[in-house]
Amino acid sequence: MDVGGTFTDFVAFRGDSLSVHKVPSTPSDQSEAFLRGLSDLRIGSADRIVHGSTVATNALLERKGPRCALVATKGFGDILEIGRQTRPHLYDLDVPRVEPLVAKPLRFEVDERVASDGSVLAELSEKDAAKVVALAVQAGAESLAVCLLFSFLRPEHERLVKKYAKDAFEFCTISSDILPEFREYERTATTVVNAYVGPVAGKFFARLSRRLRARRLPQPYVMQSNGGVISLRAAAREPVRTILSGPAGGIVAAQALAAEVGIEGIITFDMGGTSTDVALAAPECPITKEFEIAGVPVKVPMLDIHTVGAGGGSIAKMDAAGALKVGPESAGADPGPACYGTGDDVTVTDANLLLGRLRAESFLGGEMPLDQERARRRTGEFASRMGLSVEAAARGILRVANANVARALRRISVERGHDPRNFVLVAFGGCGPLHACELAEMLEMPAVMIPRYPGVLSAMGLAMSQIRREYSITLMVPSEGALPGVLRVLRRLRAKGAADFDAEEVAEADRDYQGVLDMRYVGQSHELEVPLRDRSPTSRRYIIDFHARHKGFFGYSRPGAPTEIVNVRLRTTGRVPTPKLPPAGAGRERPAQPMGEAEAFGPDGLLTCGLFDRARLEPGAQIAGPALILQADSTTWVPPRWSGSVDPYLSLVLHWN
Amino acid sequence: MLTGFDPTQIEVIRHALVSVPEEMGAVLERTSFSPNIKERRDYSCAIFDDNAKLLAQAAHIPVHLGAMPMMMRAIEDRFQWRPGDVVVTNDPAAGGTHLPDITLVAPVFDKEADEVLMGFVASRAHHSDIGGLAPGSMPMATEAFQEGIVIPPVKLVREGVLTEELMDCVCRNTRTPEERRGDLSAQLAACATGVKRFQELVLKAGREEFRQMSEQLLAYSETVVRAAIGDIPDGKYSFTDSLDDDGFGSGAVNIQVRVDVIGHEMAFDFTGSPPQVKGMLNAPIAVTASACYYVVFCLSPPDIPINHGCLVPVTITAPEGTVVNAAFPAAIAGGNVETSQRIVDVILGAVSDAIPDRIPAASQGTMNNVSIGGYDLYRGREFAYYETVGGGAGASRANDGRSGVHTHMSNTQNTPVEALEFGCPLRVTEYSIRDGSGGRGRHSGGDGLVREIEFLTRATATVLSERREKGPWGADGGEPGAPGENWVIEGQGRSKMPGKFSVEASSGSRLRIETPGGGGWGRKAGTRRKA
Repeated sequence: MDVGGTFTDFVAFRGDSLSVHKVPSTPSDQSEAFLRGLSDLRIGSADRIVHGSTVATNALLERKGPRCALVATKGFGDILEIGRQTRPHLYDLDVPRVEPLVAKPLRFEVDERVASDGSVLAELSEKDAAKVVALAVQAGAESLAVCLLFSFLRPEHERLVKKYAKDAFEFCTISSDILPEFREYERTATTVVNAYVGPVAGKFFARLSRRLRARRLPQPYVMQSNGGVISLRAAAREPVRTILSGPAGGIVAAQALAAEVGIEGIITFDMGGTSTDVALAAPECPITKEFEIAGVPVKVPMLDIHTVGAGGGSIAKMDAAGALKVGPESAGADPGPACYGTGDDVTVTDANLLLGRLRAESFLGGEMPLDQERARRRTGEFASRMGLSVEAAARGILRVANANVARALRRISVERGHDPRNFVLVAFGGCGPLHACELAEMLEMPAVMIPRYPGVLSAMGLAMSQIRREYSITLMVPSEGALPGVLRVLRRLRAKGAADFDAEEVAEADRDYQGVLDMRYVGQSHELEVPLRDRSPTSRRYIIDFHARHKGFFGYSRPGAPTEIVNVRLRTTGRVPTPKLPPAGAGRERPAQPMGEAEAFGPDGLLTCGLFDRARLEPGAQIAGPALILQADSTTWVPPRWSGSVDPYLSLVLHWN
Repeated sequence: MLTGFDPTQIEVIRHALVSVPEEMGAVLERTSFSPNIKERRDYSCAIFDDNAKLLAQAAHIPVHLGAMPMMMRAIEDRFQWRPGDVVVTNDPAAGGTHLPDITLVAPVFDKEADEVLMGFVASRAHHSDIGGLAPGSMPMATEAFQEGIVIPPVKLVREGVLTEELMDCVCRNTRTPEERRGDLSAQLAACATGVKRFQELVLKAGREEFRQMSEQLLAYSETVVRAAIGDIPDGKYSFTDSLDDDGFGSGAVNIQVRVDVIGHEMAFDFTGSPPQVKGMLNAPIAVTASACYYVVFCLSPPDIPINHGCLVPVTITAPEGTVVNAAFPAAIAGGNVETSQRIVDVILGAVSDAIPDRIPAASQGTMNNVSIGGYDLYRGREFAYYETVGGGAGASRANDGRSGVHTHMSNTQNTPVEALEFGCPLRVTEYSIRDGSGGRGRHSGGDGLVREIEFLTRATATVLSERREKGPWGADGGEPGAPGENWVIEGQGRSKMPGKFSVEASSGSRLRIETPGGGGWGRKAGTRRKA
């Protein structure tokens, strides 16, 4: 069950059958749509429910969290406001102040200090700890974040504050629990975000939990930004881990669909109404900790997803000098694009309609016919201002939108050292299949894959996700001879992991632990992950591996130079029974039967295309462009020179020749 | 309807061209060694056509804006370019900004016809040491020779073969030769990527089509900038503001500008600014040009493609031998970081006569450069540390100024307290917003910062800072921001220090930097209007 801005999507796996459903989202209480969908699908019992939630994300974006207070080391109460002392736009003379999540009157300092070697320079007294909590209560705070310098080396001071905060606050987060890693601004921000969204998410999860229990349904798992799930209880404690959970589901499902048919390297392309998410998986999608939302860094592990403001609703406009631009502003759902019947904005969707790539009568399965005349009129007015024909303007709009997305695709591939020509483009979201082939041509990618249900792929991915967690701590020691110490830390992290597995009731045999070291050359300021492969205490394997990985990643290594271990991480995976995708069988290769013909503009003019019904395409069905493939949640445009067939999992795989 | 470009192609061409320097930047950032490039992002990459006209620049650093085209013009005709060549330079006489900024340039030849020159790619990066008087190469100098090694434009790579002797010679003259080699290698890798991507673009589009595309984008940018200048009322606007001191007793150094707006063109004339000074406040012409272009971009719509077209409607006059066009071997380390800020202030001050509602009050007007070096007893090695400290931004008609940020010509990140203490024998004892330092007004200026650092070992500290005498000006009756203050604290004693100084600090003593607040905007009700 995946909550989106407009719709809440459901995918139910029952034995070998799969059902898909959408209900309008209920933003005031997301659990209403949740229950309605379960009723619609007549789900009375379930082995497992997985939920993709935007409760924490929305609370942060809309600034709807409670009054949150922050406790910091004396002299450092402004860290949250100073940030990295940079401004967001280089050439903007008038950047308004952004109120930090915790305003000055709610920021408190305590007299304490730990040094970089973990020694205590100033002890925090019980009295001061009690006093700062009382002050925060007095200031009207409803939740509390605590982040003290070097607390990852010595968490005692933060724990002392927490001891007093426990009774006074319903929600308190200390940085040594949520992100025990160095770099105080990012750690403070992450801690504050958790405390800020915590009470909102907690209330929602509690309500959801009660309602499911009342229906005798199991407690749901919640998707995290790292592509793994955790229990509802854990998510309520650490909601910051769910901030980017929506797009993560789509990537998990795309990986699974590709893997089933032996495709290893994919680039996912999820184009919705307002924006596009792209990610690369070869075969795993890399984890990043460089993520900002609403200007706030959130340093918990996330799948490395890049977002651009290009979607079906992106608005076309002419700038002051006469050039055509598209987005990032979107017409949204209401009033929406001109072709929705009431809006005036010319959008990417209007352009697709006017070029014949969307069929007015079959949009959303025919439930919402598009207003072709209105689209033509509005686009005509827009085009004449630019001295263009309607058709040239529509083509221009698509060309500009595609150029935006192509740039994002290059960012996640070429700029990170990958050649897109070695990857398959997996397109989903309502608009992805319309643009996929042309984008693949632009990047010279050989093939495109369109899953059977491109509109609900994220929901499908939720059901396929394993339990995944990460535990980390900053060590900052010279690498030579560090392994015994590292192993001690790993044992401690493993005990934490085991306790969480116990709580999630994961069987011993289904638990997997992976130790990872963040290493660098002394003098560098960026770290490289090195999986710990040899655990014998005298092994130097991790140092040799570091040099080799550095060479592979950055193009050079310095084998004689001293290295250091910055962080130690433990990644855990709990295998849970995930549904297998039911193969629809390997059908005989044969040309698919079109249900009709239509006219659409290709690259060189008007073409007659075959019109196909996606629901009737069985494994082995072959399609050659130009063609349009219609289904309720999306339309696929197959340009001339593209052709392909349906695979055993009903995905459409298209090639370019 | 404007002519010279196809309206539906502009965004497509822009993405294609700017992706080349951006991909160069990604390679540079990924393969560089030092935090200066990787974390502070003190670098820029650019591509040029065969006439040395800027086609696209991916800039994190405004001070490189005018400098890169100037360097390209200075060296274009000096060489017989061959495929596989790379030229290196940091020469202020050839578009250099200050010696730590080293630039590499490589020609791009059509892949299908080796003799056809299509353009150039360039990468410029700030190296954390280039030799000279003090670690970090930002010393209290009186001539360029004290600031480090000067590299005139020379071929570092000839037809694909690296001149090892030259590489050795450059690295040997710095305190951190291995790191320099690593960062220069990263710049070489960036240029190689740039050449490849540039060639792919030409191959895909075709030579003639590529030239035509580039011209369309240049025409477009020129149109946008001309329109932006056209929105400013015609007139001649003048302004003068001063730097505190050159660190060698010069007293106030006035920077003077006259900005002429005539129709769709803009001219900056610095005639009347004083002769170059003894200390390191002198700006090479490239720095002055960058400051002028920075203001032009601020006045243009956001997201404009940055290229030669933007520069066409702008002319700059700065007499040679003055602080705004220093002649070799004047000391220049501070021109880049301090004088550049004041040049922006005087231009904005002048233009505010024409468009008072669009120009905010003065921002902190300094980068508060702190360099600390010495022997680290704990780790048994030399250490060198350099940082710049943010301050208050000027308030505007619409908004209060932001507190504790880098303004105008800089936007580099701070070093986290925990990272600094892990790496150096230093301890940060305070890092906070300097309350009440922003100028009062209807909108108040942003507050400066307080950064206090304790030395855990004996060390040499050098501070280059400005706006210690006179705070950043307010606008429309707003009050000025508080000037910055520098302090050295030893035991119970506190000594107020000048804006520029070098000190041998003892273990246990502290350096306290309080940065200026931004100017306020508009007279606050109930306060008396200042004369």
